[in-house]
Amino acid sequence: MPVIVMASPKGGVGKSTCAAILASEFARMGANITVLDCDPNRSLSRWASHGLPKGVTLHGDIGRAEIVPTIRAADGDGKIVIVDLEGVASQLVSRAISQADLVIVPMQATALDAEIGSEALALVREEEEALGREIRHAVVLTKTSAAVKSRVQKELEEQLRSAGIDLIEPSLVARAAFSEIFAYGGDLTSMMNDPEMRTGGKVDKALENAHGFTEAVYERLK
Amino acid sequence: MSGSNRLSGLKARPKDTSVAEVRRVDEVGEARGFVDRSPRKKPGRKPSPRTHQLHPKVFPEVGEAIAAEAECLGITQGQLIEQMWELYRTRTET
Repeated sequence: MPVIVMASPKGGVGKSTCAAILASEFARMGANITVLDCDPNRSLSRWASHGLPKGVTLHGDIGRAEIVPTIRAADGDGKIVIVDLEGVASQLVSRAISQADLVIVPMQATALDAEIGSEALALVREEEEALGREIRHAVVLTKTSAAVKSRVQKELEEQLRSAGIDLIEPSLVARAAFSEIFAYGGDLTSMMNDPEMRTGGKVDKALENAHGFTEAVYERLK
Repeated sequence: MSGSNRLSGLKARPKDTSVAEVRRVDEVGEARGFVDRSPRKKPGRKPSPRTHQLHPKVFPEVGEAIAAEAECLGITQGQLIEQMWELYRTRTET
């Protein structure tokens, strides 16, 4: 089963959110998911401490020395492996990318995110060249506006497309439910069905966005 | 979006996980600034468990002989005194 790696040397772009959404949605489709939390901030481990969706298991505190054998072991178990990486330029990141079937580079629609995120894209291409095989990779824009597409976002999308970079659509909209999933644990469906879980936003819209994003990722894994 | 039948079509591509391949990946990463950032252990030697001090005054030739013997054996004067003590205890116990 495929290995999906969330990579960007910049922190706060939405790597952990993407990982949590994909893990929840693929688990809802019936897959067994292994999530590897390689981020020292332990965002996904905190999510797991409140309860993981059915079918999702998580391994935390994975460092540079363990990443390749851990991915190999989880991959062999017939599970989809989702790797959430630290937001720095490290050997841990380059090693994880080498084991990926799909590298997702989340970035907000800002010049800084695009500039730093492009380092991850360049690294993927250089690894492809050095290893002599394709490592599929794509960008997803995160924390976008639900109401209007900003001028900066339009320009960035145009730049990415003209550079031949695969852009995942839909983008991930800035939704309160996406950030509050880390406070409640579980998935968006449990958040929508449990009256005790209160968010400031529309969970149904977040769920719809998560479905669309996961479908787009699925299409890239076939 | 229904179920595991769709997912069964998903397959992983074969990947090399040999030491040589990981080294090549490290080299590519390092050239772009993706270097080893794993936390380092505290530098320096660990503190010795030998925390008690003796301050015996002896004749200079005895002190010099103890120092020379310890150096010859490649151990500290403290370790030599410990060995002498073990020998003394073995003799007094028999």
